[in-house]
Amino acid sequence: MPEGPALRIVQVGFATTVQDHGRPGLAHLGVPTAGAVDRRTHDLVNRLVGNPAGAATIETMGALVVEALRPVVVATSTDGGRQTLAAGARVRVDAPAGSIWGYLAVRGGIEADPVLGSRSHDTLGGVGPPPLTADTLLRIGADPVTELVADHAPPRHVPDPWVRLWDGPQHDWFIGGLHCLTRRPWTLTNELSRVGVRLETGEFPRSTRSQPQMSSIGLIAGAIQITPAGEPILMLANHPTTGGYPVIAVVDPDDLPSLVQSRPGSSIRFRRA
Amino acid sequence: MKRRPYGPEAWLVDDVDAPAAWASALGDMDIPGVVEIVPAEGTVVVRCTRERHDAVGEVLELVVPRTAGHDTDAPLTIDVVYDGPDIVDIADAASVSIDDVIRLHATGSYHVAFCGFSPGFAYLRGIDRRLHVPRRATPRASVPAGSIGVAAGYTCVYPSGSPGGWHLIGHTTASLWDVDRDPPALLQPGRAVRFRRAP
Repeated sequence: MPEGPALRIVQVGFATTVQDHGRPGLAHLGVPTAGAVDRRTHDLVNRLVGNPAGAATIETMGALVVEALRPVVVATSTDGGRQTLAAGARVRVDAPAGSIWGYLAVRGGIEADPVLGSRSHDTLGGVGPPPLTADTLLRIGADPVTELVADHAPPRHVPDPWVRLWDGPQHDWFIGGLHCLTRRPWTLTNELSRVGVRLETGEFPRSTRSQPQMSSIGLIAGAIQITPAGEPILMLANHPTTGGYPVIAVVDPDDLPSLVQSRPGSSIRFRRA
Repeated sequence: MKRRPYGPEAWLVDDVDAPAAWASALGDMDIPGVVEIVPAEGTVVVRCTRERHDAVGEVLELVVPRTAGHDTDAPLTIDVVYDGPDIVDIADAASVSIDDVIRLHATGSYHVAFCGFSPGFAYLRGIDRRLHVPRRATPRASVPAGSIGVAAGYTCVYPSGSPGGWHLIGHTTASLWDVDRDPPALLQPGRAVRFRRAP
């Protein structure tokens, strides 16, 4: 196969990084799992180009433009389709209407030196390949020698307005428990990153404790922490390994992929699982 | 200990005397469906598959940690130059001399209670009560790798350059974090540690 880089980054978004399934199993050493924020879409674009689900893709918030330096097969979440780019051809990756994280897969996977078994850029600890910038040249892996099965698979972009919640370990620290979150719609704010997103409504959950003091606990994706100011923060894929705020609720893992694709300003409703 | 569901794919185990030892005992049991075990401050989070959530929950009642949180290996010794910018403040807060701060820190027996904050950042238990101080009112934007910190009843070694709110009393040239080493963290939960004043 041809040597040397196969892709050149022409333009990046606000947050454009190489992602895969991350580094599970190292949280006890303080290493975040990281990996794709929307793993469902990451896996889907990989499938379109015949890659294994865990092959590295490019994740972007904000428009990404990539140029092929030689013929490559790519799939993007923009249209959920596959195409062959000739040398010099460009592809634009943007999150489709109503969603926020876009993905680009290339047949063979993005090749970068794996760190602790993953090519994911860890936003918190800086582990893994650095964020992508314009003019970065990227190599790709060997052809996976698979048959291309799916031709077109538009990702599901309609956010599910109902998100199922489970009791978090500190749900009883708040007056009404989960009811604080289920009784009215919430808005996703633009305080959003791979780490987490802040939710907003007119009213804050009130603590049953005058001075909530708790030990730090291991965090998981989907955990909703309540800050001392009473603001809920939803933890995403690149959450810190531990945190010291009470966790009132946990989003059902099956509902997380569509929730993480909801744009700032969109309204969501929670219901008890 | 108490266990509480933490969503459909995890448990929070609370009131654990020695979280590192408890986590390691659970790990040794090799329970099918367990994905990740994360000890923290008196707690352990156990991530598992959805299908095995109930079964894993039952097993948590059966975990018997070995001795009191310390591993059986000889303690790892870390050489420290006690020249940190906050050592005078710590001496003042404890109403002791700078030499006393050094002596108290360098004669303690420590063990890693848990890791967090950044890759390889270990919270070391065992610091003398006189050196128990809160975090700095204003965190530093940048703390160099190898800095020795004290705060909140723990001592630490910053594994990499990062922001930090702990009082800095010295530094070491030991490599705390190296992704090409297995495991990459020098200090893992349960590891026994001593500090020695560098000659």
